[in-house]
Amino acid sequence: MFYIHHISCISPQGSGPVDNLFRAVEPKYEGIPGNVLRRMSKSVRMGVGASLPLLQWSPDGILIGTGYGGMEDSVKFLKQIIEYEEGVLTPGPFVQSTANAIASQIGLFNHNKGYNTTYVHRGLAFESALIDAAMLVKEHPGNSYLVGGVDEISGHNYRFEQAEGWYKKEDFAGGDLYAADSPGSIAGEGAALFLLNDSPAGALARVIGIATLRGENEDAFRAALHLFLDRHLPDGKKPDLLLSGENGDSRALKWYTICEALLGLDVAVARFKHLCGEYPTAAAFALWLACTLPLKGSDHQTILIYNNYKFSQHSLILLEKFL
Amino acid sequence: MSRVFITGMGIISAVGASLAENRSALRAGKGGVTLCDRLPSRYAGILPFGKVGAGTDELNEKFKIADPGITRTTLLALHAFDDAISDARLTEAALSDPGTALIGATTVGGMCLTDELYRDTSNPCEGSAFLSSYDCASVHLYLQSRYKMQGFTTTINTACSSSANAIQFGARLIKNGLARKAIVGGTDSLAKFTINGFNALQILSSELCRPFDRDRAGLNLGEGAAFLVLEGEEALAGAGGGAAAGEGAAAGKKIYAELTGYCNTNDAYHPSALSLAGDGPYLAMEGALRSARLSAADIDFINTHGTATENNDEAESRAMVRLFGKPPVFVSTKSYTGHTLGASGAIEAVYSILSLAHQELYASLNFEQSIPGIGLRPIPAYKKAALRHVMSNSFGFGGNCTSLIFSNTR
Repeated sequence: MFYIHHISCISPQGSGPVDNLFRAVEPKYEGIPGNVLRRMSKSVRMGVGASLPLLQWSPDGILIGTGYGGMEDSVKFLKQIIEYEEGVLTPGPFVQSTANAIASQIGLFNHNKGYNTTYVHRGLAFESALIDAAMLVKEHPGNSYLVGGVDEISGHNYRFEQAEGWYKKEDFAGGDLYAADSPGSIAGEGAALFLLNDSPAGALARVIGIATLRGENEDAFRAALHLFLDRHLPDGKKPDLLLSGENGDSRALKWYTICEALLGLDVAVARFKHLCGEYPTAAAFALWLACTLPLKGSDHQTILIYNNYKFSQHSLILLEKFL
Repeated sequence: MSRVFITGMGIISAVGASLAENRSALRAGKGGVTLCDRLPSRYAGILPFGKVGAGTDELNEKFKIADPGITRTTLLALHAFDDAISDARLTEAALSDPGTALIGATTVGGMCLTDELYRDTSNPCEGSAFLSSYDCASVHLYLQSRYKMQGFTTTINTACSSSANAIQFGARLIKNGLARKAIVGGTDSLAKFTINGFNALQILSSELCRPFDRDRAGLNLGEGAAFLVLEGEEALAGAGGGAAAGEGAAAGKKIYAELTGYCNTNDAYHPSALSLAGDGPYLAMEGALRSARLSAADIDFINTHGTATENNDEAESRAMVRLFGKPPVFVSTKSYTGHTLGASGAIEAVYSILSLAHQELYASLNFEQSIPGIGLRPIPAYKKAALRHVMSNSFGFGGNCTSLIFSNTR
């Protein structure tokens, strides 16, 4: 499909959960002027900040997936509306609240007049951007694209999802996320961006296939997983590693168990949400992680990322990681 | 790569709840923007809006929906989607075929529930029916479930160019062999949120909007939805036994037009304004011509973005003059519907295709005097015209610009 050449990530890695949240460890954003930085929402800040190291390769287009979009600014503006009874309002939060603010601010920074788009399909927003990028690379040989997944923990979204039971009610101080036999996960956030094109020379990894599936039918999931592996791995070959999106929610575990059972015991399993927490575009963090994993005794390794978002949105990303 | 044809359309807007009603209003030059008082905003009865006639209760009743979490944005989408699939005569089996994709666009999504959202942010309770309805994806996840669709589904939000990008993305899925059919479109409902947003930016006109007029004073917000059924040659051959459009039509499959060109660019100038030279619009139109392998002289008509803001109409005019020299005849149908934001790209694609299919041009309303120094005049009155290739422009906040080209298959 395409080759990943450069990667950049802002994530909660290394910080551990505080108050049941995995908050991103943000850099100083030295490349962003202070007055511009102050006006940015956190997701725009993380998205633009993570893009800066990749802009030197002059991408031909920018594609962002974000599940929450500009929820925090939306609610900020909404509060103005209600509290000032639709009077004279400041438009800043309204302009920032549009989900395409991340991709368009990166475009502004990079004076990039190329392809620019934003996917907001909840837990499959990042995968949608990847599928679009795979088509672009095929349609425009030689072009490079900047693709990423960005989400912030917004206070309001967090409270809504907490009320819906998506996060753990008990205190989680950073023990074993996967051992907790209780419903709900721990919220996370982050930005992971990739510079990709059709050139194998010097690439970190090659993405071989991407698939998305919606629904909670176990047989349909098994069939889709079978089909995906058969299509992309010859002769019943198995990936070397499953990077599993298991998130500590006892109710979601069955999907990961099905995936592991179907792959068999000889496929190693690694998990990643104890590093980044749960959020709609967490698969972008997983892809970043896959690109950084050290190889042992081989010059390449095939990695399958399976992620499940709120039970019904499934995604599969198969890649080959090079030395 | 497969050619992509439009085989079905559904639309609901301030000028009608069906394709026929919309066309008849356009032919009659009858706009739908009014001082309506049934709106959840203090600007109801003060500012003009392009409101869809049917109320939310009426739409719920029509589709037998009792779930309060199904928002007005979703109901408008459902109305247009349902019409589009009937128009294309898609069966249940065709809808649930894994080769049938659904690509939707919206900017408001569930934010039309402004008051409910405010209540929930103050005190989110487990009993609220709305908690998973506020995002944009909720609209198309609902359509996907309701019609048991199994193909690739996603939601795009590039502000006011959103649904033009949904059309482009659906077509590219077909061309890349990732789908055989794609149902593509967009929806947005009038919301306290967007009304106050555009009002804070001081670009809402207190009178009927006047696209491309010297004295234009801003846009009117509208609401609506439109969906189009796109089919590739393979799907049409399966349906009718012939790959070419004419043969498909001969086999009883209606073909409105072919999507021949598209291009997405960014103006990269300002978060909420276009560069005065209209770089993004110029590059989008020019790129669409290149992708259709056409030259500027081949375009017979443009459905402009034409919001009637000071900024858009000047930038778009300058970009058209730069690309075409003397631009082809053009209209802004936002003078009928108001600016329907994420739905406007799909609504105006439908209008462009109606022009093409019926070989007719609709009048641009409320225009008197041209912009000094540019001098462009939109189409003054309804007329018949020979049209081969038409262009539809959609530009949005964040500099997101998309142009589409539809061509006659006859």
